[in-house]
Amino acid sequence: MIVEGILKGAVMMSTPLLIGALAEVFVERTGVMNIAIEGIFLIGAWAGFVGAYLTKSIGVGLVCSVVAGLVTGAIYGYFTVYLKQHQIVTGTAFNILSVGLTLYLYRVFFGVPLLPLTVEPLSSINIPLLSKIPVLGEALFNQNILTYLAFLFVGVGYWVLYHTRLGLVIRSTGANPEAVDAAGINVEKVRYWAVLFSSAMNGLAGAFYSLGFLGLFTENIIGGRGWIAFAICFLGNWNPLGVLAGALVFGLADAVAVSIQTSAFKAIPNEFIIALPYILTIVATIARKHFNVPAYLGTPYVKERR
Amino acid sequence: MLIGHENTAVELIGITKYFPGTIANYKVNLTVRKGEVLALLGENGAGKSTLMKVLYGMYMPDEGEIRVDGKKVDIRSPQDALALGIGMIHQHFTLVPVHTVVENVLLSAFNTPKGKLPVSEAAKEIEEIGRKYGLEVDPYALVNQLTVGMQQRVEILKALYAGARILIMDEPTAVLTPQNAQKLFEFVQDFRQAGNSVVFITHKLNEVMEIADRIVVMRGGKVTGELPREAASENELARMMVGKDLDEITVTNVSEGDSFGNIVLSIRNLRVKSARGHMAVDGLSLDIREGEIFGIAGVSGNGQEELAEALCGLRKIDGGEILLESKNIVGKKVMEIIKEGIGYIPADRHREGLVLDMSLEENLILRKFESESFSARGVLIQENIRRYAERAIDEYAIKTPSSKVKVRGLSGGNQQKVVVAREMDIATTALVAVQPTRGLDLGAIDYVHRTLLKAKAEGKAILLISTELSEILALSDRVGVIYRGKIVKVFNRQEAKVDEIGLAMMGVSNDEAQ
Amino acid sequence: MKRSKKIALSLFPVYSVFLGLILSGLLMLLLDANPLFVYKKMLIFAFRDAYNIADIFAKATPLMLTGLAFGFAFRASLFNIGAQGQFYMGCLATVTCSLFMNNFPAVILLPLCVLASGVAGGLWGSLVGYAKAKFNANEFLISMMSTYVAIAIMNYLIRGPLIESKGEYPQTDVIAQSAWIPQIIPHTRLHWGFVLAVVIAALAYFILWKTTLGFKIRAVGMNRDSARYAGINEKRIFVEVFFISGAFAGLAGFMEVNGIQHMLVQGFNPYLGAEGIGIAILGNAHPLGIVFAAILFGALKVGGNLVVQTSSIPSSIIGIMEGLVMISVIFSYFLRERILIRMEKKMLQAEDRKEDPRV
Repeated sequence: MIVEGILKGAVMMSTPLLIGALAEVFVERTGVMNIAIEGIFLIGAWAGFVGAYLTKSIGVGLVCSVVAGLVTGAIYGYFTVYLKQHQIVTGTAFNILSVGLTLYLYRVFFGVPLLPLTVEPLSSINIPLLSKIPVLGEALFNQNILTYLAFLFVGVGYWVLYHTRLGLVIRSTGANPEAVDAAGINVEKVRYWAVLFSSAMNGLAGAFYSLGFLGLFTENIIGGRGWIAFAICFLGNWNPLGVLAGALVFGLADAVAVSIQTSAFKAIPNEFIIALPYILTIVATIARKHFNVPAYLGTPYVKERR
Repeated sequence: MLIGHENTAVELIGITKYFPGTIANYKVNLTVRKGEVLALLGENGAGKSTLMKVLYGMYMPDEGEIRVDGKKVDIRSPQDALALGIGMIHQHFTLVPVHTVVENVLLSAFNTPKGKLPVSEAAKEIEEIGRKYGLEVDPYALVNQLTVGMQQRVEILKALYAGARILIMDEPTAVLTPQNAQKLFEFVQDFRQAGNSVVFITHKLNEVMEIADRIVVMRGGKVTGELPREAASENELARMMVGKDLDEITVTNVSEGDSFGNIVLSIRNLRVKSARGHMAVDGLSLDIREGEIFGIAGVSGNGQEELAEALCGLRKIDGGEILLESKNIVGKKVMEIIKEGIGYIPADRHREGLVLDMSLEENLILRKFESESFSARGVLIQENIRRYAERAIDEYAIKTPSSKVKVRGLSGGNQQKVVVAREMDIATTALVAVQPTRGLDLGAIDYVHRTLLKAKAEGKAILLISTELSEILALSDRVGVIYRGKIVKVFNRQEAKVDEIGLAMMGVSNDEAQ
Repeated sequence: MKRSKKIALSLFPVYSVFLGLILSGLLMLLLDANPLFVYKKMLIFAFRDAYNIADIFAKATPLMLTGLAFGFAFRASLFNIGAQGQFYMGCLATVTCSLFMNNFPAVILLPLCVLASGVAGGLWGSLVGYAKAKFNANEFLISMMSTYVAIAIMNYLIRGPLIESKGEYPQTDVIAQSAWIPQIIPHTRLHWGFVLAVVIAALAYFILWKTTLGFKIRAVGMNRDSARYAGINEKRIFVEVFFISGAFAGLAGFMEVNGIQHMLVQGFNPYLGAEGIGIAILGNAHPLGIVFAAILFGALKVGGNLVVQTSSIPSSIIGIMEGLVMISVIFSYFLRERILIRMEKKMLQAEDRKEDPRV
């Protein structure tokens, strides 16, 4: 029972990380880091909640989160891709702004409610028969729609990235934008679209935290999970399959932490279990010798002008 | 020869292209015929590459029109050019190193379908084209595991796969060994024989004479001459290229036989690995005497860069010794070698020689800021630095508003003067100069050359590494030819003959040649 | 270039501060507040009396230091995103010193706390530099993650060994009076730590532009290949820069614990590190600019906090103002660069025509 619960929790908690990290893979493969990821997670969580609360429809909430992500990405992408401003610096500004903005606009919409507002979170879709498989059944076949989508996204993403012309262009843009330019493809356009796509997906990932199981919005709802997704992209070696493995490991860490926190087991201080994913990231970053970092990651593309 | 429309592949009419600060092309007319090799000859900055990038759709011309097969066309991107059958091989390859050959080919092909990549079909076609023109390459190999020569093949295959009938090649032999260059020439001939056209951009006279059917010379953004190969002589071409006779620009450095002093720098059996891990300098030996310029001639990529870096402490030495005034300096750090008095003018002043966003005076002390005169107990002595900089600006006639401006704002010639000034000062015993005049205009080239001769007169031992044979011959007392990391032959200046040096550069020893 | 133009260009960050405030003002309209009225009130509140004016500088003190932490590393092209964690490490070190050595007199105890907080932040930071030098790890990612680890360590210590004697809340006991930083103006919160922070900013300036270490740092920051060519050991610079940068952030801990809070409360000042990045950007990573930017942020905080208490505007407006100011500053840098380039081009063209009759 405990194992099943933890596994189900692991798959669930890995969902937003998976969506965020996959989106980051696509944008970083074009050479742009979406440093605003943490902020867009938060904005997505906020917009999803607001949309769902006001219309009483989770579906509308999810759409709102995607649109909010897109809008943020459009501005972030304009600054970093077209104005060629520093990605880390710009992203940090966005992250600071997003904290104030979401809280402020929550107040604009709802004033100061006495009790935290809630919506009915996404319900699980039980796939008959398959969900009865011992141990893994609950984890894999009794989840909400976003989880199924996230796993579908891994396969589709992998196929697009490695087997289509679009994927070839994306991979080439981060590895050598000059080659893409020489082939007559507009590097800035590729990058901008990638930022838009990743931001939309990040918005959706953020909505998982507000709508996926809690059904509410708070200031600390993301709490660095965007950064974890960012790190998973890195540790997964910019590959959808690597990202899948990474997201599952971190999801498992999250689920184990929750179940230890709520159990009587007190041998390890809580704080260190919470810190586990972060320590894991540091260790993995140091231990891993060889990364296929996109060669032009973080470098704005300026066309040669003699 | 009859010139009609049916014989014309491409016409450029009145092309003008402005860049900030310069006019790169001015009312240029150029015709490329079907089934010919057209050599586009000119110095650095003559506007050859710009003109061809206009044709290839990378730059939009400010004035003028382009006709392909007699029809006016609008080329707005390389995709348009490729669709019209125009392909370009760039001087710096535009390949994605971490991708396979076939992926690289498919990336630039304008007709690749939007959906699934036709990898296996494309691979088959690449193999076919390869067989047809003798350009075989494994379509599934990763580009970064191919040699430079093979990478160039991939560039050519990219154009051919996209159906190019007109192939522009920008300085294609600069990166090739002589054997590969010869192979490339064979391909060019085959390709032409099949009724296609080639525009061959170069600044090397011998290549022009070897390969071209017709020669167009450019200088200062304009066409200064056009003639069939049979009517051309190297001297005449050179005059068109630089605007003066060849003899005039060749500084003849009269050295007085054996009037040199003692051996200052002696390299014995040096072995140095390249960044890629192969033994780039492999048992190299040479001696340089006081007041001598030792020139190293060779095709680039034969260990020149590694040799220079090893001498200056920037690269680990895997074997052999370097004796500076009989003292072994192998294993010393950069700072220590600077203290020993070896100056180093690196090949690329932007990447290495200068910190472009630092001020002129900071760049002048870049390699000696920790010396006693510029700092005490870790604090910089601003007054000394400023005075030193003003002296250097004066002595080297560096054109600048003040010593505090960023060197990024200076012209190429003045930037190089900053490097030269600094390294001349460091070089109390020896100076290593790599491509010291790359990308400079003639006035600045002359200045650098005269400075090197002055260093020689001061009794310094100078190692001059350059891929410009004319520069080597103009300045050196002795010429060593480097081939695969070894000095294969040494000539005294008086006995040096261009054809013999050329053969040695290709790794052909005298006995084989006869 | 004309002098007046030069001055106009150098004032771009100032214009953008106003732009950021105007944009924030638009958001106030959503809560039916009149932005002009709000800003007027903010100004009046912030400068109402000595206490509030002094508070601006008190608030600016730690911000200055976390701003320096980011700005200093930025000069070496290194990204220290972990100032928050280094700040907490400094907090822990100084509060431990203050609690356990409380029988020392202030003249010994305070310098000891300065040293402890600086070294703690510095060591925590230099771990990041070491990982970068030794394993070529991505310093951005590692410094980011190190903050979360630092938070865990702090939470553990505050809920465990360092918890107050009552054992009720996750916070320490109040530290002894001898460990308090004396006030500059009595009955305000402005303490001598502000002066120390300004001195530290001056020190940062001195290191960067007047010493050989600073020369190396800037060379590594602007061109790593050239730095190598100049014989500079970049790996050593990574560790040194992260130590100094971390020490700056750690000292912010001393300012807050010994100067303001006089105890350590779990999870306080959670955005100090991020705000430091904003301040460094606003100040163009220059120590003098950082001092002014920190004071500006301090004023926003003081005025904002008071306005919030007396109107319908929630405190989150402060974060919005900070964020929008940052974004408009980034935009202004882009604009300024573009104008400069255009002017340079014009100058070049004019010169070219003079010099080169051929063209």
